[in-house]
Amino acid sequence: MGPANSNMYPQVLFKNRHPDRIATFEEYRAGGGYQALADAIAHRTQAEVREIVLDAALLGRGGAAFPAGRKMMTIAEDAPHPRYIICNADEMEPGTFKDRVLIHADPHLLIEGIILAAWSVAADRGIIFIRPEYENAARILEREIGVAKAHSFLGPNILGTGYSFDIVVHRSAGRYICGEVTAQVNALMGQRANPRQPPPYLTQEGLWAKPTLVHNVETLACLPHILQNGADWFKGLARTATGAGTKIFGISGKVKQPGCYELPIGTRLSEIIEACAGGMLDGSEFKACLPGGASTGFLPRQHYHVEMDFDALKKVGNRLGTGAIMVFDHKTCLVAATLNLMEFFARESCGWCTPCREGLPYIRDLLARIEAGEGEPEFVPMLEEMKVHLYRSYCAFAPGAAAPLESLLAHFKEELQEHIREKRCPFKKEPGQGVAELVKPRFIA
Amino acid sequence: MNCAAFRRDDVSMPKLNIDEREIEVAAGTKVIEAAARLGIMIPRFCYHPALGSVGACRMCAVKVLEGPVKGIQMSCMLDAADGMKVSTQDKEAVEFRRCVIEWLMMNHPHDCPVCDEGGHCLLQDMTVSGGHGIRRFPGKKRTYPDQDLGPLVQHEMNRCIHCYRCARFYQQFCGYRDLGALGIGNRTYFGRVASGRLESPFSGNLSDLCPTGVYTDKPSRFLGRRWDYQRTPTVCINCSLGCHAVTSVRYRQVVRLEARMSAAVNGWFLCDRGRYGFFYAGLAGRPRQAAVRGETTAMDEALDHARNRLEAFPPDAVAVIGSPRSSLEALAAAEQVSRLKGWRGPALFTDADAALKVRTAVARLEAGLAVSLEEIGQADLILVAGADPVNEAPMLALALRQASQKGAGVVVLDPRPISLPFGFVHIPAAPVALGAVLGRVVKKSVGPAGLDGPAARFHASLPDDPAPGPEVLARAAELLAGSRRPVIVCGTDIATSELVDLAADAALLLAAAQKKPGLFYILPEANAFAAGLLAQPEWTTDRILQAAVDGDVKALVFVENDPLAAFPDRELLEQALATIELLIVLDYLDTPLSRRAHVFLPTQTLYESGGIFINQEGRAQYSAPACAGGAPVLETGGGDHPPRVYGGGLPGADPQPAGQILARLAGDALLPEIRTPQAAVAGSIPQLAEFADGAALPEEGLRLTSKNLSADRFHSGLPPAASADPNEIEIILSERTFGTEELSSYSACLETLEDEPFAGLHRKEADSIGIRDGDRIAIRTANASVELAVKVFDHMAPCAMVVPRLRSLPWQVLGKRIRRQDIRKV
Repeated sequence: MGPANSNMYPQVLFKNRHPDRIATFEEYRAGGGYQALADAIAHRTQAEVREIVLDAALLGRGGAAFPAGRKMMTIAEDAPHPRYIICNADEMEPGTFKDRVLIHADPHLLIEGIILAAWSVAADRGIIFIRPEYENAARILEREIGVAKAHSFLGPNILGTGYSFDIVVHRSAGRYICGEVTAQVNALMGQRANPRQPPPYLTQEGLWAKPTLVHNVETLACLPHILQNGADWFKGLARTATGAGTKIFGISGKVKQPGCYELPIGTRLSEIIEACAGGMLDGSEFKACLPGGASTGFLPRQHYHVEMDFDALKKVGNRLGTGAIMVFDHKTCLVAATLNLMEFFARESCGWCTPCREGLPYIRDLLARIEAGEGEPEFVPMLEEMKVHLYRSYCAFAPGAAAPLESLLAHFKEELQEHIREKRCPFKKEPGQGVAELVKPRFIA
Repeated sequence: MNCAAFRRDDVSMPKLNIDEREIEVAAGTKVIEAAARLGIMIPRFCYHPALGSVGACRMCAVKVLEGPVKGIQMSCMLDAADGMKVSTQDKEAVEFRRCVIEWLMMNHPHDCPVCDEGGHCLLQDMTVSGGHGIRRFPGKKRTYPDQDLGPLVQHEMNRCIHCYRCARFYQQFCGYRDLGALGIGNRTYFGRVASGRLESPFSGNLSDLCPTGVYTDKPSRFLGRRWDYQRTPTVCINCSLGCHAVTSVRYRQVVRLEARMSAAVNGWFLCDRGRYGFFYAGLAGRPRQAAVRGETTAMDEALDHARNRLEAFPPDAVAVIGSPRSSLEALAAAEQVSRLKGWRGPALFTDADAALKVRTAVARLEAGLAVSLEEIGQADLILVAGADPVNEAPMLALALRQASQKGAGVVVLDPRPISLPFGFVHIPAAPVALGAVLGRVVKKSVGPAGLDGPAARFHASLPDDPAPGPEVLARAAELLAGSRRPVIVCGTDIATSELVDLAADAALLLAAAQKKPGLFYILPEANAFAAGLLAQPEWTTDRILQAAVDGDVKALVFVENDPLAAFPDRELLEQALATIELLIVLDYLDTPLSRRAHVFLPTQTLYESGGIFINQEGRAQYSAPACAGGAPVLETGGGDHPPRVYGGGLPGADPQPAGQILARLAGDALLPEIRTPQAAVAGSIPQLAEFADGAALPEEGLRLTSKNLSADRFHSGLPPAASADPNEIEIILSERTFGTEELSSYSACLETLEDEPFAGLHRKEADSIGIRDGDRIAIRTANASVELAVKVFDHMAPCAMVVPRLRSLPWQVLGKRIRRQDIRKV
């Protein structure tokens, strides 16, 4: 697969990607795989590795964009053992599928990344926390972990250095909130997957109250390349001065070639849509997109040429998130799209704090009424109010859920008001579902 | 992130400003607590002082104007910091709190008129004060199915506002798992996986804790509103801990009991035995009228009759038998009346052994060693010897759990299959061996180095642990050696008097080894400490009964004592009752003995008379009268309201305080010493002279621990080795949370919570006689046979059979030992 013109872009994470099969251990080795690990263990100190990752300005690819090197450095030298490293493969952000593609393309890249991160903080045990729908990926990983062990890259006494480390694959019970790191650690301990506010931070007291480092799949997959080629090389991959590395963009929606593309950080949105995804569908005009998954805001037409970089998106009041671009055309009702997202967030709220547990169904209900043609003018100020209050929630879930609503109100308020004025959804030719269906009370059995 | 910033080694006292008022608080204090000190009650739902801060409800939002973080913050999650400026009245904060209420009311039913919480509902208060009056949300309300949670707690899940207090209390605070949060999002459900009675003996607290009406008190359901109730502080008398409680009285009847916060004793909570153990006071069958030979008689007439009959006997032929369930006023009166009249008694304990154990505990509980329940929660190791906390004093188990949660080790030396809601080290030794095990653990953990004088001699006298000793003992010794604030908890039920004595010396030895030890005894009944102070060693129930059988005692006065249920030697008791010429019974319970009395004189309960009770740590506490007495209106009115009964006086108000009745029985000897209950108390316990009015006692009580103890120190020894017949099994009669304690066994709502009678056997023992778990056995004794279901345990002492002393079980016939061949599978 890959973009039609993938030779235009340097392929780092996807360099062993085949259209029809998984890269083998031998292929991975032949391309220099596990060399970064061998070199690091043989020639570098653990502190040096952490330093290099910090220098590379690698930002977490799971959506929060926290500097990966800085996170590693919060594990103190004298921190107690056992220390844990968790690879967050609970990819549940709507529209996001990069981690699955990455694991299916080149599983050993991830495995080496985990071992490198683990070694740099002297972790004793690794866990890949994977969403249950990714059963195939889980089996691939389990199989390839066995291969890595057979070659002494994993298990007791790795490469004869005396360092021992093992990885287990843990299938989540399957909730969006389990992707939140503190909730994930609670879930691993058999507790309810409610987030926990720091301090203490996970790197101080995480899994079983021991230091725990949690990184996203893509973040970890960057490590072997950074170690092998250096921080400056990594930073040079980006097209913007503030960015570093490449990014896997998962593009979906009203484009001709939806898919997963590895592109330099800072590639313009217009270029991604036109050059990689083959442009908009015939008869479709770009209206807006969600640039980084469901918890980012609608990016309107005026930012069509924005550089897809953490900083650049922040400047236009949005976020790069997971880099999952969902494209909407001029025939799509964004009230309905927001309602769809709210359905998801209201369902997936862990139920811990009031703004999230009650505020999201509140918003969902109002949007459903508006979409069904039963909106009232006073719903708009009510939505404005709710949007502000969602930011006073316990964790980042509700503020993330607020992003689509916030951008709807900021950029597409007229569309919302048209629904209310006209008492119907202007995008629907046929009368749609009645409100009764949309806001059906849920009986909990 | 700078790790150093998280450390709390800063001991300074931050000074902050809340609503333009300054306050200085200890480092680590949350803003919500700092505000409370200023009298500013920040609205809250999830925050509870005992359960801590979790930031779930978002109701306690305030605006931080100056400080390390600014803007809207949750005051329960925010540490007070120096120079912080906080506004609770800021528009933004008020508006957000209003919105939180709006959210919570989205799904809350408008059923306040039929909700038992109405009138003392936190959600109701917040809705009204927070300004959310009109519902603008157009959606429908969420509904949930409710569950049957057993006889104590009513479940109405639709009212839930998801503060998580119940789940946090039930699971984290108490350590039980059968109730908690299920599901996610706004379908989150609080309950059990399926309907069924709650397993925790602390479940009643859910009704107190729930900020709205999800959990309400089932026995008092629909009986009244908070403002209908006459609420009076009281002390729980369903075990020796003396937890603080509040009674709610309506129409002359106690209808509900709730926990009353006490920093030193029970904290915020109460066990279910204590919470629901008051129903005896309002039972329809409670005897409220005096009777002479079974004929209802006016109180004065019955008193005159009784006094005249007593006067006919030589003083020495009259004996008084009381019990530690009476108030101090009654006990003191019994003691003074007996002394002044020359009667025998009062006997306050069944036999010399029981009396000795309590007297030893009372004597050995030095002021410097005695610890409260609260202090147990702060200990770093607790050694429990011969005690079963959940069954003998439930709130102790909760205190132990709090210590355990903070990292304290708990070691239990007890032959029974002890179960506690946390992990602990269990050494199941036979009752007579407990002293030796305690000695070995203490000796192994404290070296002789640094000890001198009596402490060194005592150390040398303790038995050595044979090397290699059992691993579990080494583990216990290691935990004790590593502790700085250990507490020794010692029971007085299955423990021997030597163990009770040894526990105190073990604590003293730990003090000599530079630790800060504590000592905590569990006593058999609510006022056992007072009984231990007052009891004359020469008078015990068995001796008086023997004297009756021998013809020396001809008249018996039983004061609030039910020997037919509690006295172990039924044969002796029956002989004595058959021999005596006069049986006078004073009681507020309808006991089998009172029905056999020649003269029955009804007494008042604690709720009517009030009274002083001294708990097991020597804390004298006063419980004020909660109602004037008289039969409940619901009873006299036959359900009508207002009751259609005319006439002077209160119906059913004949009962008098037991002390007063005793004084009147004493007749012309009514001397100043006993004219009033206060005088009696002052006469018996001089330390209480200035507090004899009870109500003068401080809120947290007054410790009466002994101060002059040097004679007893380091003189304890081990019990003589018993020569056990290898063919015999020792019967260990044991308390249970429900069904063995006298007063609570009159509560109908607790009946279904009682265990089925069972015989607990060690697996090896059961195997050797070919019995499996669940089998029924018949035990043949000299003149009776008892049938029991068998429970097999791995963690209990062999050569023993644990049998609950259930009131529904004729345990008296079992005696102390049985032969194996007398056990037969049914």
